[in-house]
Amino acid sequence: MSGVLEVLANDTFAMVMRAAFLFALGVVLAPLCSRLVTRFAEDRFSAHHSQLMRRLVFYGVLALFLASALRELGFSLGVLMGAAGVLTVAIGFASQTSASNLISGLFLIGERPFEVGDIIRVGTTTGEVLSIDALSVKLRTFDNLFVRIPNETLIKSEVTTLTRYPIRRLDLALGVAYKEDVDRVREVLLEVADRNRLCLDEPPPLFIFLGFGDSALNIQFSVWAARENFLPLRNSITAEIKAAFDAADIEIPFPHRSLYAGEATKPFPVTVVDPDRRQDD
Amino acid sequence: MSERPEHWWAPLEVPTDRILTCRLGPLALDIHHAPGEWRLLHRHDDDEADAPAEAELAVAVGSIDDDGADRFMVADPDPRLTLVPCLLDRPVVIRPRQPVFLPQGEAITLYVSTPVVVAVRVGAGDRLLREIPSLPLSDTWFGSTTREGELCYSGRTRARHLRAELPRRAHRAVTPFQVRNEADTPLPLDRLSLPVQMLSVYGAADGGLWTEPLSLTRGGDSDLAALDVEEDAPEFAGATERLSGPREPRTSGGLVRAFSELFGDRP
Repeated sequence: MSGVLEVLANDTFAMVMRAAFLFALGVVLAPLCSRLVTRFAEDRFSAHHSQLMRRLVFYGVLALFLASALRELGFSLGVLMGAAGVLTVAIGFASQTSASNLISGLFLIGERPFEVGDIIRVGTTTGEVLSIDALSVKLRTFDNLFVRIPNETLIKSEVTTLTRYPIRRLDLALGVAYKEDVDRVREVLLEVADRNRLCLDEPPPLFIFLGFGDSALNIQFSVWAARENFLPLRNSITAEIKAAFDAADIEIPFPHRSLYAGEATKPFPVTVVDPDRRQDD
Repeated sequence: MSERPEHWWAPLEVPTDRILTCRLGPLALDIHHAPGEWRLLHRHDDDEADAPAEAELAVAVGSIDDDGADRFMVADPDPRLTLVPCLLDRPVVIRPRQPVFLPQGEAITLYVSTPVVVAVRVGAGDRLLREIPSLPLSDTWFGSTTREGELCYSGRTRARHLRAELPRRAHRAVTPFQVRNEADTPLPLDRLSLPVQMLSVYGAADGGLWTEPLSLTRGGDSDLAALDVEEDAPEFAGATERLSGPREPRTSGGLVRAFSELFGDRP
């Protein structure tokens, strides 16, 4: 009995105590280190990156001390790692989708096509990025819906970041009647752009004559705006163009159809009806 | 009607139930001191050229009942009201109407004017009610590409080089801008970004508004230029009074810029 006690006191007990001490040290040091990293990274990196670094440091330090504690207890780390590897493969096969999203998330973080607060368009969904997480990106759409998009989808599909650059171009497709003078139309459009305060002077507005359409001369008129003024400009300039065209007697045509009866058939019978009489009927 | 102040930026007294009618260039501003509140109504003329050159101010009995007026609740019945001229919050890109070139070895002082913003301040504490631009300017982009650059205001001016030719306009502050070209090639002055947010406004005894003079030298070997801002109003303006300070602090690094940043890239 005394022998057992002696062993406990000398070997096993000391071993367990050492392991417990190492683990406790890890538990104390890990949050300390992560806090230090946060303080260092806060001003230098984006919120998302500093959060990621904090987590990495926390779990890294904890894992290091846990491994040391296990080693003190006599476990062979090589065997443990091997077992962990086998387990990872098994889990990987079982949760392929999650793993794929996780890896895609890492790529997204590395590539940084957008950040929290940006407005992105994925497929038909447009919204503000709320968070970029390990498995998915959360969006808030403009009709105030919460949308979760798996990271894998983002990696595979085309993503448009609308708020990447400070200015945006608004492309307007216009049509004017064949009888109109294109130079005069151009003058009227440039004057409208010049008068609109949201429309940037530079880069200058772009006027492109696209070609001869079915019932109109097709024109592209492109104007630039600061990205926060994009929607107000879109609303104001279209109304102003319509008003300016009306004032200058420039016709915006709609599709016309001319019907010809041809030579072989008789002309279409046309009856003229008095509008007043027709209303009375 | 009360007495006319000497300058439009001098403190005024608008007692309760009186209205201040102010005409400053294209800006028409009505300020009504109602019991417990101030009401502001403003509009801009379409064309600056038709606007009166001198400021017109009058205090009379009256009120604003327009629904479009902004209301500011101020319990203090102090009638003191000051219209303070400030400069805009972003740089103004000046594009002279005719192309201007500065040959090698030449130096020139251009006088460029920018419309001021009127800060309406009331009461003993000079509390700010609102800032109203005397002339709303269109936005423009100033940068070599659509990715890099700065959102600015777009101002059109003749950029005169003779002080005697400067027209007197009460709503514009004039910045003397000295440019020296020591490079081998003529310097085109077709676009110029004026950092007005770093400048102060000074009122001269004759009613003119001035900012600190700027000077810029284009060196022979480098495309970088140091922009110097003097600490006080130009000497020729005579006795002046500092009316408002810069919106952004002048950083030593911020004023050393590439020439292309100040004058734009030539295609």
